[in-house]
Amino acid sequence: MQTTENKGLVIFFYVCIAVFSVICLVPFVLAVSGSLSTESRIAAEGYSFWPRGFTFETYQFLFGSKAEQILRAYAMSLFVTVLGTLTAVLVTTAYAYVISVKGFRLKNFFAFFAYFTMLFSGGTLPWYLLSTKYYHLGDTLLGLFIPYVLSVFLMFLMANYFRSIPHEIVESAQIDGAGHLRIFFSIMIPLGRVGLVTISLFYALQFWNDFYLPLMLVTDQELYTIQYLMYNMMANIQFLASGNAAQVGGAIIAPPLETAKMAMTCLTVLPIAILYPFLQGFFVKGIIVGSVKG
Amino acid sequence: MIKKKGWLSLLLATVFLVSGCSQGNNESATPGNTDSNSGTGTAPATAGGSEGTALAPAKLKIVLYGDESNRMKELAKTEFYDVVKKEINAEVEFQFLPWTEYGGGKTDLMLSTGEDFATYTDANYMVKSVAKGLYTDLTPYIPAAADLSATVDEASFRAFQLDGKQYAVPVGNKPNSAEFYSVLVRQDLLEEAGMTQVTSLAELEQFYDKAHALHPELIGYANTDARRMLQYDFTDKNLYWQNDFIALDESAKDDQIISWFESPEFKTYAGLMHGWYKKGIIPKYAATNVPQLQSDWNSGKAMFWAGTAARPFEGAATISQAVPEAKLVNYFLGTGRPKISRGTYSTAFFVSAAAKDPERYVMFFNLLQKNQELYDLFAYGIEGTDYTLDANGRLTKINTDSLIPDWLLMNKNFMRFDNTVPDDFIADYKAWDDGAIISKGAGFNFDNTPVKNEETKLNGVFTEYLAPIGSGFSDYDSAYPKALERLKAAGIDKYIAEYQKQFSAWYAKQQ
Repeated sequence: MQTTENKGLVIFFYVCIAVFSVICLVPFVLAVSGSLSTESRIAAEGYSFWPRGFTFETYQFLFGSKAEQILRAYAMSLFVTVLGTLTAVLVTTAYAYVISVKGFRLKNFFAFFAYFTMLFSGGTLPWYLLSTKYYHLGDTLLGLFIPYVLSVFLMFLMANYFRSIPHEIVESAQIDGAGHLRIFFSIMIPLGRVGLVTISLFYALQFWNDFYLPLMLVTDQELYTIQYLMYNMMANIQFLASGNAAQVGGAIIAPPLETAKMAMTCLTVLPIAILYPFLQGFFVKGIIVGSVKG
Repeated sequence: MIKKKGWLSLLLATVFLVSGCSQGNNESATPGNTDSNSGTGTAPATAGGSEGTALAPAKLKIVLYGDESNRMKELAKTEFYDVVKKEINAEVEFQFLPWTEYGGGKTDLMLSTGEDFATYTDANYMVKSVAKGLYTDLTPYIPAAADLSATVDEASFRAFQLDGKQYAVPVGNKPNSAEFYSVLVRQDLLEEAGMTQVTSLAELEQFYDKAHALHPELIGYANTDARRMLQYDFTDKNLYWQNDFIALDESAKDDQIISWFESPEFKTYAGLMHGWYKKGIIPKYAATNVPQLQSDWNSGKAMFWAGTAARPFEGAATISQAVPEAKLVNYFLGTGRPKISRGTYSTAFFVSAAAKDPERYVMFFNLLQKNQELYDLFAYGIEGTDYTLDANGRLTKINTDSLIPDWLLMNKNFMRFDNTVPDDFIADYKAWDDGAIISKGAGFNFDNTPVKNEETKLNGVFTEYLAPIGSGFSDYDSAYPKALERLKAAGIDKYIAEYQKQFSAWYAKQQ
């Protein structure tokens, strides 16, 4: 009796999830099919789930005219993601270790210091001033990841994780004469692997998806990331379509081709779409492990 | 002890943060006071030729919106740079921002943090920013833009003045009058329906009926606002709208403003539109999906649109992708009323309050419209590499990358057409403004601070109640009483009174 009830429930859940994932998938399928369609048929007939007049022309066009820009932006995104994730993970775990270590008197102060920024922030203007006028991050590679190297939420996640490591291990290492540096690198990091993978994934995703830092801090096209390139394109189209453009005295600018937009979308989403299924296990596991204090 | 240290460091951090903010404000709050150590003394003499070398070196940052093309990037570092250096001894740098940052966003941040740059503006953004002291007063430097002043009309300059001070320099000179007062008709469909022209509302509807019988899949009008093109049928006045709520009667020589939604004209207009909606001239989906209308028009699925002087050839370029044989012609649905213009500018450049050398910026704006040679360079690039000219001066682009956006520079004295534009189009275009009058409200900028709350509420009422009536989606008789009630509750009377007060005061000063 109970099993059939459970079975019914399971089937119900599966149906719900299936419907939901189909809904999520529809725009993506439209984008892929749009990118493989002929421009004139899209203009005349609109989108469909199956490419209208199947062709690779759009991709050829993109890689023909903008290949250099796209590839450079891709490389930049990749570079920023790798470098940013490494730096961020190092800074975050170090901070997390400091506030989780036993016997450090200021740990509550530092925990509060970080926590405070979760509740209050100076706002965009002071942030922009600080970044450009004092730290000189404008138009630099550093500007693309430095402002994001400490996510307080992930830091607390990591600190919780460190706290779940039995203190006896640390103690025995201390008895053997290990200092904090040694404990951190030889014990905490290896034991905190699952937590580490989780926050690395979160950071990597954040760096990959970010367009805000380039928007605010970068003007040099050499430093454009693929997301910013994409954002730039979409922002321009939306603005022109919204009718605000009329205020600028009838700016008439031919919008980029529909198919080109779709091809750009596919190019940006592709790496994440390929990687995600393999990595998503870590996301779930990491959050659960980190949040249950043992 | 340790606790004390903790508090101390917190205090220090706060002080740094606060000092950071206040410094930014100081820098930005000095309109016009910025020292220009090199330029001010040399004013009008520099307008003429290549005296660039006599000037001290300067650095200029010009912000433009949109995508920077590869060719633009190249030219910005080579020819553009060299020419500007030679003409006005300035090193110019172009920075491109996404359109979302126009009139706010990063532009606001750059202004507030005291960066040295110039970019373009509209009157609304200008009023807001000048109130915060973010623009340089350019009045003393206008003589440096002598060439530009010769091609851009006086009314355009007036549009960017506040209290007699020039806060932005208008650029561009194109026929702007009667924007959206004409009907842009698909001439190919019109001829297919056995008609040659459209001169009245009855003929326009007749065109719709015939074309609809031939092509039931096409929609009629690809917009939801036809108050301008239909004014010949619902009023004897010559109406010109200041914003959604306020119109002026240009045929009367007085300072009376008209509260559009409370006027009898609005009632007649709403009735006409409701008829269009019921008939299907405006498609049913328009009520919920306005952007679709524009893409329908672009893909050749609509019969007519609101016209401007340039749309017959600008619009044709887009439509011809889907319908190669498409031909567009402007028609007015009535005669005898002069076209009204807001000035011939495309846009206007302002200079940030923190700029070290505002005059040099003005000199740069001057270069954009100085002569045919420079115009060709900035708009089209280098002859032979980016474009070719035939014997008639018609342009063929070799490179389709856009440079300094051509809508921005567009000046009828200099602009070039390509081979697909017929001669009579060009003649029509150039003569479009003949007989046009400048709106009596041109140059008036409403200061909305006393009625800011009312304005916000009114905008809400407009979107929710009045736009649907105006577009014909709801029936005037049943929907209007409630809409009027909301308008009154939102404070339309106070808003109109304030607008009238400011406008009358300004109007009296102009006489």
